[in-house]
Amino acid sequence: MKFYLNQYLPLISFLIIPLIIFWNPAWLSLMGNQAYWPIFWLLPWALIHGPFKSLLLGFLLGFILDTINADIYTQIPGLMICGFWFGKIGNLNQLNNTSRQFGLNAAIGTLICGAIYFCQMVIKLLFEKSSLWVFSYGVQNIFAQVFLTGLLAPVFCRWLYFLFSKKYRLKN
Amino acid sequence: MVNFRRPSPSRWWNDRKSWIVVLFFLILLIVRLSKTYIFRDVYYFISKPFWPGEYQQEILRKSANQELNIKLNQLERDNLRLRRLLDLQNFSRDNKLNSSVISRNTGSWWKKILLNKGSQNGVSTGDAVIGPGGLIGIVENTSKLTSSVKLLTSPNSKVGVWNQRVNLHGLLIGVGTKTPKLIFYSKNIDVQIGDYILSSPASTILPPNIPIGIIQSVDNESKPNTIATVQLTAQPEAIDWVQIFRMSY
Repeated sequence: MKFYLNQYLPLISFLIIPLIIFWNPAWLSLMGNQAYWPIFWLLPWALIHGPFKSLLLGFLLGFILDTINADIYTQIPGLMICGFWFGKIGNLNQLNNTSRQFGLNAAIGTLICGAIYFCQMVIKLLFEKSSLWVFSYGVQNIFAQVFLTGLLAPVFCRWLYFLFSKKYRLKN
Repeated sequence: MVNFRRPSPSRWWNDRKSWIVVLFFLILLIVRLSKTYIFRDVYYFISKPFWPGEYQQEILRKSANQELNIKLNQLERDNLRLRRLLDLQNFSRDNKLNSSVISRNTGSWWKKILLNKGSQNGVSTGDAVIGPGGLIGIVENTSKLTSSVKLLTSPNSKVGVWNQRVNLHGLLIGVGTKTPKLIFYSKNIDVQIGDYILSSPASTILPPNIPIGIIQSVDNESKPNTIATVQLTAQPEAIDWVQIFRMSY
């Protein structure tokens, strides 16, 4: 059992992400906003597996999240950029696995994803010539998510990084 | 006969990488076709022991009294008018279905809730969802066991509404905050703070005369329309039980 759990840990944790998004615990929210859960998985995974695999996984993750939310805007570009960037950091060995670095990278990743998502919303409204009433709400959403993700990343990302790298070491 | 032909490594089906690519696209196809209903149905079973208890229905009944007072006032006026007008769509109590909220996403980009009744129970896309206080959203899509509701506060939500006092139609647009905007497509109208907003009595999409909110502020300076801010009477952040109006039942 323990062997299988170790073997399929990345896959299991990957499949848990949509369930956490559905669960959406209110006690872990800031101004009604949740942390950006996909980043917690993508960051440690990309650090170990490099930019190109992470680019693909970012695409797959975004694809699943888009399908869950059934929205007209997409999360794919943001997650692909983050996957590639996190992978590059891992390849260049620029991360010293400190809490601060995990938090900072996760926060910047969330900012990129949030900003891309919000830009799509704004562009659609501009094309429709609608009022930009969503502007303050969008900015508030982005900053709440960035803060919360950055705050929780040292806990979740370090833990997942430890588990993923342990599995990776055993495999190689 | 002995087959001397060896498997050629140049054939694509002998290459492991090709199969990984095929598998990747196969996963994408499955995800797209299943619309992640599998995840939702798995979540249904996992969250089942934690669903809200029956006592929440007591709260629903109490708040329904307040809702009924508003509706009664409107229905009396409506009746008089409708005698002279069309024969409207009827909504009986049999169309109502109680359901509990099993997932709530009211804060971030996606203003949605997930209910524990799906197509198996006769819920279909476009059904109105009512919580204590009034309308909270419209069913966006359904799986066999669950249905996803787009809230009125969602930036993608647009609903036709009715100002009870001045008998005027408007369009309620979600802007992400708790107070959606209401656009009346005319100027110099007598819209006041405190006016009740209901679903249109002539609507064929929503059940008629369901309380939606109260006008909180009016911007008379805006051109060419009159824009008002509406405080919704139902608060989806605190609702555990809702009622679904099955339109196609």
